[in-house]
Amino acid sequence: MAAAVVSRGFGLGRPGWKAKRDVVRTVFLARIKIITRYKGAIFMEALLPIVFAAMPVLLGTTVAGANAGAVFEERVGTSNFRLYMLIGAATFTVVSLMLWLIGYWVRREQETGTLESLYLAPARRIYVLAGVTSYAFVRAMIAFLIAILLGSVVFQVNPFEQGMGLAIVFLAIGFLPLWGLAFMFGAFIMKIKEADAVIQVLQWVLSFLMGVFYPLTLLPVYLQTVVKLFPPTVMTDGVRASLLGINFLYNSAFASLAVLFAMALVVPLLGYKVFESTERRLRRKEGVGHY
Amino acid sequence: MSKKKLVEFSRYPIAFVALFVQIFLIIAMFLYASLAFTPENADPTTGQSLGANIVYGFVIGLFLSFTLWEIGFSIREEQTRGTLESLYLSPASKFASLLARVFAILIWVGALSVFAILVVGSVVGGLPVANAGLALVVLVFSISGFLGLAFIFAGVTIKLKETAQFLVSFLQFFFMIFSAQFFPFKALREASPLIVDGISRWLPVSYSVDTFRSLLIGQTPELGPSMEIEILIVVLFGILSPIVGYWAYNRLERGARTQGTLGEY
Repeated sequence: MAAAVVSRGFGLGRPGWKAKRDVVRTVFLARIKIITRYKGAIFMEALLPIVFAAMPVLLGTTVAGANAGAVFEERVGTSNFRLYMLIGAATFTVVSLMLWLIGYWVRREQETGTLESLYLAPARRIYVLAGVTSYAFVRAMIAFLIAILLGSVVFQVNPFEQGMGLAIVFLAIGFLPLWGLAFMFGAFIMKIKEADAVIQVLQWVLSFLMGVFYPLTLLPVYLQTVVKLFPPTVMTDGVRASLLGINFLYNSAFASLAVLFAMALVVPLLGYKVFESTERRLRRKEGVGHY
Repeated sequence: MSKKKLVEFSRYPIAFVALFVQIFLIIAMFLYASLAFTPENADPTTGQSLGANIVYGFVIGLFLSFTLWEIGFSIREEQTRGTLESLYLSPASKFASLLARVFAILIWVGALSVFAILVVGSVVGGLPVANAGLALVVLVFSISGFLGLAFIFAGVTIKLKETAQFLVSFLQFFFMIFSAQFFPFKALREASPLIVDGISRWLPVSYSVDTFRSLLIGQTPELGPSMEIEILIVVLFGILSPIVGYWAYNRLERGARTQGTLGEY
């Protein structure tokens, strides 16, 4: 009873929109302040996609030698395999960072013992989560941009030849379902607690399902059906198809955008609902503070 | 300490299963990536040779990254839990304490490696396994060499604290590329001969990868002038690296104790 009173407040002061905005801003700034103390992390995030892309590029050169571009074009529809890999790896970093940062935020609050106190604060969870996800978005975008720019120099490719506007639209819409997935992931971490192992394995599951280094047509048909329903796959495919002028997953840019838009409407709501219900169940069992 | 680590491992079954899944997915991803570069009517032996190049390099990469991560990470854990300083006041040997941290993980990585080889073998229709005994000897000396690198890294962790994690991530990917863990060295040479002659050739880890892979595939090594010389380099690496590594660790640790920062995190 007492806990319910504390958690809901006495019903006297309901925070207004300014207070809500302040919650988002404070959480966002706090996270940004923390990460600026670890400059190595930002550097690594920008560097990783280039290293990731380099591996299949070198592997492809080994397999096909001087014909690498020609064979790749036969299979994928473009001979620019370096840019294909770079876009895949950079988009994967965005997806991975979004999930990683939310998952780790939950886990870190659990470990430092601040999650339960945070739940007793008179701020709605959605605004706290909005602050954390906005921070994740900014950090992911910084990594994406640096990786694309630096990678273009390293691989001597030009990502600005065509379709940049459309690629940005895919990226912008693709972020919304990603937020939903991040909420679900946060809920999952809150429940199972072993964040490190799960995040690591999930990273590889994601990269496998997103077809970071290969066209999805190489996957078995049943798996193709599954990955088509996975928002990050549609987003990566859209960005890549726009910049390289290859076929879209749903045959046209409009169809792919429509599917992604539908996902953008459904997945964030679903994600937040999952987060809320997991959290409610854990609170009932006194498990929010356990780690 | 080894027993403690084994008990700890056994208490996290999700982490246990996750690692197996992770290995399977990494291999699958690289196999699919190579498929995108393979002509549709390609000779099946191409797949076997490629699979062998990927998986044998990957095995060395697994041992390297797990050794690097485990020692540094477990030192960091002791720092954050606040048990490092008390542990160092106990009359136990510090060398044994460091070595014991990797014992459990090495057994685990051994199992993962066998699993990886079996998975790739079943996908590509068998892998070449020539000179298995000698390759195993090379692997043992390579692991001993990696321990030396891990000792240095443990010392660096005491000094750099949280930032050390980024350093180990960087090193992991640095070796992945420049020691050609997922592809033959000829791919690096085709990108630029300077990469192989200016970087790869100067990394002992490259010789571990090249010797282990060449012995198992039954081909002449790509880096050194002959197999005998490459084996000699790996053996020297395996003997000297732990000595140099432990010396460096001792210096860094003594520095931290003198400054009173050993227990800080």
